[in-house]
Amino acid sequence: MNKKVISIVIGFMCLILSYGISVQVKTINSIGTKTSTNATENELRDEVLRAKEKYDNLYNALEEAEKKLEQERTNATQNNTELTDLENSIKEANKVAGLSEVTGPGITITLDDNDKITSNNILLDPNSALVHDIDVIRVVNELKNAGAEAISVNGQRIVTTTAIECDGNVITVNGVKIGTPFVIQAIGLPEQLNGLNRYGGYLMNLQENYGIKVTTKKEDEITIPKYTGVIKFEYAESK
Amino acid sequence: MKKKISKEKIVMSITIGIASLALMLVMFMQFKVVEQTDITGIENMRESDLRVELTDWQTKYEELNERYQEVVAKIEEYQNEKESGEETAQLLETELAQLNMILGKTEVEGEGIEIIIQDNEGAQLSEDTTVKAITEEDLLIILQELWGAGAEAISINGKRIIAMSDVVSLEYFLKVNGDRITSPYVIRAIGNQSYLESSVRGKGGHADELEELGHTVTIEKNRRVKIDKYEGEITTKYIK
Repeated sequence: MNKKVISIVIGFMCLILSYGISVQVKTINSIGTKTSTNATENELRDEVLRAKEKYDNLYNALEEAEKKLEQERTNATQNNTELTDLENSIKEANKVAGLSEVTGPGITITLDDNDKITSNNILLDPNSALVHDIDVIRVVNELKNAGAEAISVNGQRIVTTTAIECDGNVITVNGVKIGTPFVIQAIGLPEQLNGLNRYGGYLMNLQENYGIKVTTKKEDEITIPKYTGVIKFEYAESK
Repeated sequence: MKKKISKEKIVMSITIGIASLALMLVMFMQFKVVEQTDITGIENMRESDLRVELTDWQTKYEELNERYQEVVAKIEEYQNEKESGEETAQLLETELAQLNMILGKTEVEGEGIEIIIQDNEGAQLSEDTTVKAITEEDLLIILQELWGAGAEAISINGKRIIAMSDVVSLEYFLKVNGDRITSPYVIRAIGNQSYLESSVRGKGGHADELEELGHTVTIEKNRRVKIDKYEGEITTKYIK
């Protein structure tokens, strides 16, 4: 009797187990076919990775070359005040143009989607609970108005030709896709930059009417990276 | 009897052992699947996206390479001209001139477009709607569209747009770079004419949207668009 019960239990267990295994195996098989039979996609993926690596290597080489150029410049202008002045102007211009990293006091603003939409929320359009490209554009514009000297959005330096655009569900800055939370950093007089958070201002409006999560933090020292793209003129000529 | 029971136990243990083994196997498979589906970035992309991504990286590489060659050439020049102070000064001046062009401190000319926007605020759009004034947001959106289309220099009513240029709406006028501007807004941009035009026209283009809202927009393609230099002084106090 006891023996019978035990064998039945074990037999039943085995049945369930083997069923589980076969389901599992089937799933894995179908997933496997999905990724591996599409050879073109895999090949393309490899190619993209290779292209990216090639780019990264060149970028590192460029970084080194730029350092060396600066060194050569310093060497060439040594012991000549007139030339040193010129060299300093170049350094200064590089900072303003966004072509070199800068540090200074400033502010960090983060914008994040409102993730607490409930049915009793006044929001009817869930779209309005998201941070949009125009919000980032407006905040960056206000920072410029408040006297910012350098700005970055999720590590992308804002230069003259920077476009902040919407690309489907993501935002692109300098052609690079970025997602929430958006971290906007600016160097300038912290008190003045923080004025962005004033009552009735754009940030307050985002917070109060759309539930966008906004934080601002004054900073004693922040570092804003340089622009990683290339600025070149194909159409414009200096007169 | 005792012997028999222990034999049975052994059989049972072995069975359970096998069952556990099978279970473990299933679990490992499970982990593997989870790992496979934990995909980021390009793993997630379809063929067409991947092709776009690939050309993007290749173009970026080409651009970077040009810049790299330029820097390498400059290093060589500095090394060659080390002896002569005059030649070095020349090199420095050239570099500074290039930077000033990037900064917007020089007048530039080239092919591009001119967008003229007439603000029709107060006009009757339909029986019960009047046209609303153009705001800084409209101009900011157009600027993003133009930069996104590869514009190399832009001005609004003669005010050169530089990195830290702002556009502000006040009650009766807008301000660019702190200077008042009024309608008609004349936006000039240098770059590929068709790219620039199609960025503000057509699907989602803001020039079309402004027309729908009742404003008048004209766009002229021009072989030679002239854009003034930034008039102010660019001073910095906080960046190091």
